[in-house]
Amino acid sequence: MRRYLRLLALFARTELQFALEYRVNLLLEIGQMLIVVVTSVGAVLILYAYTQAMNGWTLEQMIVLLGVYYIVQGVEELVLQPSFERFMEHVREGTLDFILLKPISSQFMVSFRHFQTVQTLQVLVGVAITVYGVARLAAVVTPATALAFAVTLVCGFVLIYALLLVLSTFAFWFVRVDNLLAIFWAFIDAGRFPIDIYPGWLRVTMSTVVPVGIAVTVPAKAIVGLVDAPTLAAVVAATVIAWVVSRAFWKIGVRSYTGASA
Amino acid sequence: MTELVVDVHDLTKVYRVHERSEGLSATLRSVVRRSFREITAVSGISFGVEAGEVVGFLGPNGAGKTTTLKMLSGLLYPTSGEARVIGHVPWRREDGFLRGIALLMGNRTQLVWDIAAADSLRVLQEIYGLPEERYRSTLRELTELLDLGPLLGKPVRNLSLGERMKVEFAAGLIHSPRVAFLDEPTLGLDVSMQSRIRGFVAEHNRRSGTTILLTSHYMDDIVALCKRVIVIHHGHLLYDGPLGELAQRMAPYKVITVTLHDGAGSAFLDELGTVVSREQGVVVLRVPRESVAERTARIVRDLEGSLADISVEDPAIEDVIDRVFAGAAVPPRS
Repeated sequence: MRRYLRLLALFARTELQFALEYRVNLLLEIGQMLIVVVTSVGAVLILYAYTQAMNGWTLEQMIVLLGVYYIVQGVEELVLQPSFERFMEHVREGTLDFILLKPISSQFMVSFRHFQTVQTLQVLVGVAITVYGVARLAAVVTPATALAFAVTLVCGFVLIYALLLVLSTFAFWFVRVDNLLAIFWAFIDAGRFPIDIYPGWLRVTMSTVVPVGIAVTVPAKAIVGLVDAPTLAAVVAATVIAWVVSRAFWKIGVRSYTGASA
Repeated sequence: MTELVVDVHDLTKVYRVHERSEGLSATLRSVVRRSFREITAVSGISFGVEAGEVVGFLGPNGAGKTTTLKMLSGLLYPTSGEARVIGHVPWRREDGFLRGIALLMGNRTQLVWDIAAADSLRVLQEIYGLPEERYRSTLRELTELLDLGPLLGKPVRNLSLGERMKVEFAAGLIHSPRVAFLDEPTLGLDVSMQSRIRGFVAEHNRRSGTTILLTSHYMDDIVALCKRVIVIHHGHLLYDGPLGELAQRMAPYKVITVTLHDGAGSAFLDELGTVVSREQGVVVLRVPRESVAERTARIVRDLEGSLADISVEDPAIEDVIDRVFAGAAVPPRS
């Protein structure tokens, strides 16, 4: 376990060096990110200048939701997206062989090998927005809701990761699955609003097929005590199942790649 | 008997490929009912390699060389047969096995393009859990042998193909594997870089005793590095033995080169063997092994006056290989 954490730090450090070498690009990316964050927070503020609540969501909850959204998307863009995109290149070019021959978990290498270090900023902005929103909600936050928030946030990460892993694993059979992932990113994008405001079919899709709804909306609700114990238990159970299934699927993919099942 | 580092019995790999016909209707039909064709890439090969040996795999494209290397390095499951490499069944990919082997491919890189080679090596140190001291001494030795000094700090994308291959070797051997599988390691390199890489492989083998299995299209690689060769064709093992005896076994003929003072009597040579070339009084003949002595004697006797020089040699190794792969390894009629 310690070895894996050290490797993770090493991966991040080498990629940070790379990012720092292209300073102009780095500044542009930071600028772009800030514009996106400021405009989306601004849009929410403007919206709430006209209304007290949107489908039951108050401004404070909405701010927490936005913060969580940036944390989730930030982590996803920080490491999962660059790593899985590189994984598909590896399958196309046959360089995955090198990864399979390392005395280390290939799933770990494929999932966390590459970083877009600039996205750390997005995570930090997300944390700042969340903290600000939670501070404004201080009256209703209890240790229990804070715990529920942490648990659902972790579950959200794992759910998104599991789905990404499953989608990427298809590359073993179909080689090109970029479009599948493009759809996934689009759904992640839609996660910046509470899933409650979407029509039923989309809400169902965003909490089951693409779990971004759970990853973002559920923690934002949990912090103000809007998630009851059975729901919490269900989310945790679903997370465990998703983790186990995705890992098994990955192993099947590797076996198929090496011709073990043929 | 020395312990075998690589021990292979009846190794077979059959690929099941989806057969696709041309045309839209055929494609649509194949969605419903897929027809498969079986292709035998490797067919029941057996051999053993002792510690410290350098063995060359010879064979044309599609002969099964890479499939064999991939099975031995644990990337492919065989259809049947057994193999043990440093005491492990390769395709189980056990920790002890993975730490003891290396696979290098001339046409693929394990280095990350955007970061410096030194950083890629650091990552490998961490993956293999190499103690700092051992890592440094291995790297120092590789740096010296490959002249890596100026290359390690540059991003891999800025290296030339030859430079990248040198760094590739460093990355592949940083964990001091006991067995290294080299698949076309000199592919696309210029002649001087090829010979540098060859020199490195030979020196590394001498110093650290790494067992090396090598495939190459360049005969020069094989001749320079391998005392022993294994010839594979259509998945079958055709020859396994010393490089020097390959010609004797695979080519049932010798080459007689006759230099004449004038063109006289050159027509007479047509009766003695297959004339391969004839220019400016030099005639090259291919003669069945068993009749070499008798024919040489006849040439010397009958051409006495006009004979300037005569030599009898084994055919060039490239020619032997070419003939084997062209399916012409039968004695020429003469």
